[in-house]
Amino acid sequence: MEVVDQEGRTLTFSIGPQHPGSGHFRLIVKVDGDFIVDVKPDPGYVHRGAEKMCEERTYIQNIPHLERPVIFDSSGILFPYVLAVEELLGVQAPPRAQYIRIIMAELNRIISHLYWLAIYGIFLGHSTMFMWPMGDRELFIDLAEAIGGTRVTFSYFVPGGVRNDLPPGFKERALKTFSYYEKRLEEYDKIFFSNPMFLKRTQGIGVLKREDAIRLGVTGPNLRASGISSDTRKDEPYSSYETIKWDIPVRKEGDCYARSMVRFQELFDSLNIMRQALDLIPEGSVKIPMRGQIKGKVGESFARTEAARGTMFYHIISDGATHPYRVKISVPSFRSLSAMPFLLKGNHLADMPAIYWGLDYWPVEADK
Amino acid sequence: MSFFAGFFLALWAGVKQIFKHRYTLRYPEQKLDIFMINNQKSGGYEFDAKKQVGTAGFKGRHILYMDKCTGCSLCAIACEGIADCIDMVKVDKSFVQNKKSQFPQIDYGRCVFCGFCVDACPFDCLFETPFYELATTDKRSLVYTPEMLNEYPQLKGEYVKFIPDKKSGAHHG
Ligand code: SF4
Ligand code: SF4
Repeated sequence: MEVVDQEGRTLTFSIGPQHPGSGHFRLIVKVDGDFIVDVKPDPGYVHRGAEKMCEERTYIQNIPHLERPVIFDSSGILFPYVLAVEELLGVQAPPRAQYIRIIMAELNRIISHLYWLAIYGIFLGHSTMFMWPMGDRELFIDLAEAIGGTRVTFSYFVPGGVRNDLPPGFKERALKTFSYYEKRLEEYDKIFFSNPMFLKRTQGIGVLKREDAIRLGVTGPNLRASGISSDTRKDEPYSSYETIKWDIPVRKEGDCYARSMVRFQELFDSLNIMRQALDLIPEGSVKIPMRGQIKGKVGESFARTEAARGTMFYHIISDGATHPYRVKISVPSFRSLSAMPFLLKGNHLADMPAIYWGLDYWPVEADK
Repeated sequence: MSFFAGFFLALWAGVKQIFKHRYTLRYPEQKLDIFMINNQKSGGYEFDAKKQVGTAGFKGRHILYMDKCTGCSLCAIACEGIADCIDMVKVDKSFVQNKKSQFPQIDYGRCVFCGFCVDACPFDCLFETPFYELATTDKRSLVYTPEMLNEYPQLKGEYVKFIPDKKSGAHHG
């Protein structure tokens, strides 16, 4: 890698792969003075071959492995997997399991967004905003732990339903936490989201226009912040999401501020969705009993869900054996990677953390 | 809202927290109460092999009921593609239901606490307990023999619950 060019005008250096907060990921940045003239993202440091690994393991044994790339959103990455395997098996989860899945997926969305918010706080030099979401994240980890049994990697969704029912008294406990947390979110707004410091660092920075967002193929909150109302939960409802009412938060600006506010609004929406799911949840079994090894029928299946960072998509090919023939995962983080050089070019180097983490890019997820 | 008013409000939102409860779990002295209200035998995650459905609970260290285990090694097979941490070992003791005296031994240096071995056991004799303090300075001592797994772990210390209190702030107690 050349460091200084011939005329001595630009300087190239790498940020990462041990960048605090960036994860195992490198950005090769070329600067002219304080301005970024060129960026080359260099992913792949944590490639584990999750897709290839799936081919050697049974449908159940894949579950703990598939969670690893996105441990903060472990249910988000499992959700389309179990839906796709269920399609291969020709079964559908019982209604109660579908609602429990919604609750778990939304808990994971909050856990993931709070982690993002905490790191965003520290990236923008606001260390209180690091402490608060990290502490409040425990509330939701507690709830998810009560259902799933572990703190982050629950291995809770299985083909045919979920592994266990909600523990007794879960609803009261959850509602108490939600009402506490809603009050808390108002304080977040005062200390961070309405803070002039935050507005100065994010408004008008890294603008991703509507057309560019479509062209570069970003998904999830990043897309919604560019004025496109698209959410897989609404567009192609799965797992009883069609019975739940909420508005997709959309912002027109497309800058870092819009991306943050969309995520902030999604925290409220997730609480709202879980409240409705807890009311609507029917009695009944939570799992279709399946003994022995699961064998999919010969064929292909697809499933698409909305994970915390955007659209998560699985394509599974089965040859009738106990393990899949091929698993293809399309993760949302990999899509925001295409927008990153586009957004960073021409900005101040000091704005890099705001833009980089504003996209909620998670290297481990993108590398799989 | 003016620039300075915004700063003042942000500062005030932070300063207000001084008058609220402390939000820290003082870990070795205090431990979070992760026990569920279920009446499980093990206190943690269990699986009913007849109904093929689990009971919510923490997935911590396993408990093996040696008087029921038949040595079928289904748990070891389940774990093979996950972490490959269960080995079937011979025990110097005779059991009626387990002629070969083969029992699972778990290497906690590898276990990911997914609980799929619990789901695989057809005789309801491998469960998980809410015990998680397995840290040690010697890696070899993480291998738990069937006899060690048979003993219920000692839960020591003060267990506190998390209280999300709207007025005085969230705290433990
Ligand atoms: S909990 Fe999972 S990793 Fe641990 S022994 Fe059981 S199957 Fe293996
Ligand atoms: S614990 Fe259960 S699955 Fe494992 S060997 Fe014993 S009886 Fe078989």
